[in-house]
Amino acid sequence: MTAKEVYKIWAPVGKRWVDWVRPVPFVTIGHYSKSYGVILQPPASIQFLEKQEENQLKTILGINGWEKSYLERTAVIVDMCGGESVSYGVALTDYGFRPIPVFNGTIEQQGARATVDNQSVGMALELMAKELLEKEIADDARPAFLLDRNRLNRYKLDDSVYDNSWDVYPQDLPSPKFFLENSIENILVIGGKKISKDIKKILVDHQKKGLKIFHTDGYEMPRQQLVWKLPSWD
Amino acid sequence: MRLVPIPTSEYDEYRLKLMFDCYKWDPQFLDNNTVAKYALVITQEEHKQLARLTVALDKETREAEQFLNSNQHLAVPLKLTKQLLCDIKKMSNYDQEKHIRLTRYDFHPVSDLEGGWAISEVNSDVPGGFAEASLMPLAAIESIYKAQEKSSIMEKESYHIVSFGDVMIESVKKKVKAGGRIMMVHCTCYSDDRQVMQYLGDRLEAEGYEIIYGAVEHVNFKDNKAYSAMDGNEGQLDAVFRFTPLEWFKDIKPKRWRGYFDTETVSCNHPISIYAQTKRFPLVWDVLEDHGISMSTWRSLLPETVDVKRIVGRENYIYKPAYGRVGDGISIREALDIKEYEKIMKDVSRHPSRYVAQKKFTSIPLKGENGEEYHVCLGSYAIDGLHGGYYARISSTPRIDSNAADIPVLIEGGDSYDS
Repeated sequence: MTAKEVYKIWAPVGKRWVDWVRPVPFVTIGHYSKSYGVILQPPASIQFLEKQEENQLKTILGINGWEKSYLERTAVIVDMCGGESVSYGVALTDYGFRPIPVFNGTIEQQGARATVDNQSVGMALELMAKELLEKEIADDARPAFLLDRNRLNRYKLDDSVYDNSWDVYPQDLPSPKFFLENSIENILVIGGKKISKDIKKILVDHQKKGLKIFHTDGYEMPRQQLVWKLPSWD
Repeated sequence: MRLVPIPTSEYDEYRLKLMFDCYKWDPQFLDNNTVAKYALVITQEEHKQLARLTVALDKETREAEQFLNSNQHLAVPLKLTKQLLCDIKKMSNYDQEKHIRLTRYDFHPVSDLEGGWAISEVNSDVPGGFAEASLMPLAAIESIYKAQEKSSIMEKESYHIVSFGDVMIESVKKKVKAGGRIMMVHCTCYSDDRQVMQYLGDRLEAEGYEIIYGAVEHVNFKDNKAYSAMDGNEGQLDAVFRFTPLEWFKDIKPKRWRGYFDTETVSCNHPISIYAQTKRFPLVWDVLEDHGISMSTWRSLLPETVDVKRIVGRENYIYKPAYGRVGDGISIREALDIKEYEKIMKDVSRHPSRYVAQKKFTSIPLKGENGEEYHVCLGSYAIDGLHGGYYARISSTPRIDSNAADIPVLIEGGDSYDS
């Protein structure tokens, strides 16, 4: 498959929400400067949807507890590590979601050490494309925006390291108005003990405009979060 | 000048082609598609006029900045930051023959200025849009021609372009030795910056240059020469292409950033660009003219621009931040929601020296195929004194900012895809 073909599987023309799919990890498919081992072997993340984890997913999304009607008006932000986020996104298709990759990190200069492994994200998207193709996704599927939690790794041993960490910004996601106009009233962030600062910064506005924000670390039941205050980082 | 639709039957493929073959990695901004459904077509006459004006503006800009650099005490009205005032002292060895000077002048069609054009600013320090000014128009021509071939009723028109990439490559070849090492300096955390650098880097690599992608801190300086400090890519550099704005340096705090100011390694742009980058540049024109530097083209195209304190109580002016970029922070009331407008006005009253006041001009909108109106900002590049192509954006509001859509610029006539 060419990079463009892989992209078309994740962002089929004319479908809802796919305008937000970022082309960045797709354009670098086939241009990797090094091989990251994790994803090239048959990794656990590729075989994600095993029974135990499926049940776990149901719990997280409250199929067995959390009101189902909530789920129908909910957009998800998956904030997990690289390939895991991609696998999770594909798994969510069984629950009425369309995975929307918004990965936006670049690959490093050849020969340089980097702060983030953005290459394996592209590999995961490529590897999972076939599985996604087999899924039936309804036209009115809700969006599951996929992020790599590793994006925030910006510690550098020294100046010579290539910093390809990245943040997600308000312009990378739909506006609160767009969500509400498309019957999305809740945003559920999945991943991490807390909502990442960059996501929080975006969701302050969404919450102000009337959307409810929920969070789960991936194990606990989702809880409503108040993110009124802007983080102090900038 | 008119809008020509990208044929509906070709648009989806065109947008995809831009992403995968034309370095358009940011096709969506919030809820807005940033790939226009039109091409902007200018006549041969408009092209000749714009190219002539661009070259004339650039000549004045370069003369002005060289004069100011030799007479830095006269640059006080620019209100450069303390840090920059200290750093520009190192630029006394600046020699324009050694470096590549790149600028982009933003033109707007207007009704209230003679000649029908106004410019809103010069992007003097780190103008972007390289691929949009090189590959995007070729993709648009391909889409239009394809539809023309398929259709029996579509009028056959031909177009040509001035490719930014072609002009820039020629300039690099003149100043950087064949096979030389070039560092593409940008904010490596932003894919939007990388896409600009990647296009040029790939073009230069195809010409035999060795390209390194790095950040400001990856350049080291010794004896006024630039060296790569990039992990695994160390060694002397033959040129530095910078896409990180100078005024961001103070926040990034690279250890050896002062070397950028007095380096003899070919730079594009050299920090000499800072004099014209600040929107307060027009506030030194009187001084320049007193010393025999003509600013007549600038004066004929730029709406009256004055110190904020001079227009108290006068209407029909907008405020622009001295170091504003992509139209952000400009107080065009009708293009902003009240909260954003009030926030800007509050900042203007708190920090007047960080802004300038500019007389509003009336942008003439172009009509789309269904009668919808679009305002146009037509950026025209100059590279070492030569015209270097166009980068344009359109918006439904008079303020052209990050929400605007990129639109390829085609020139009527010609039977070639190339310049």
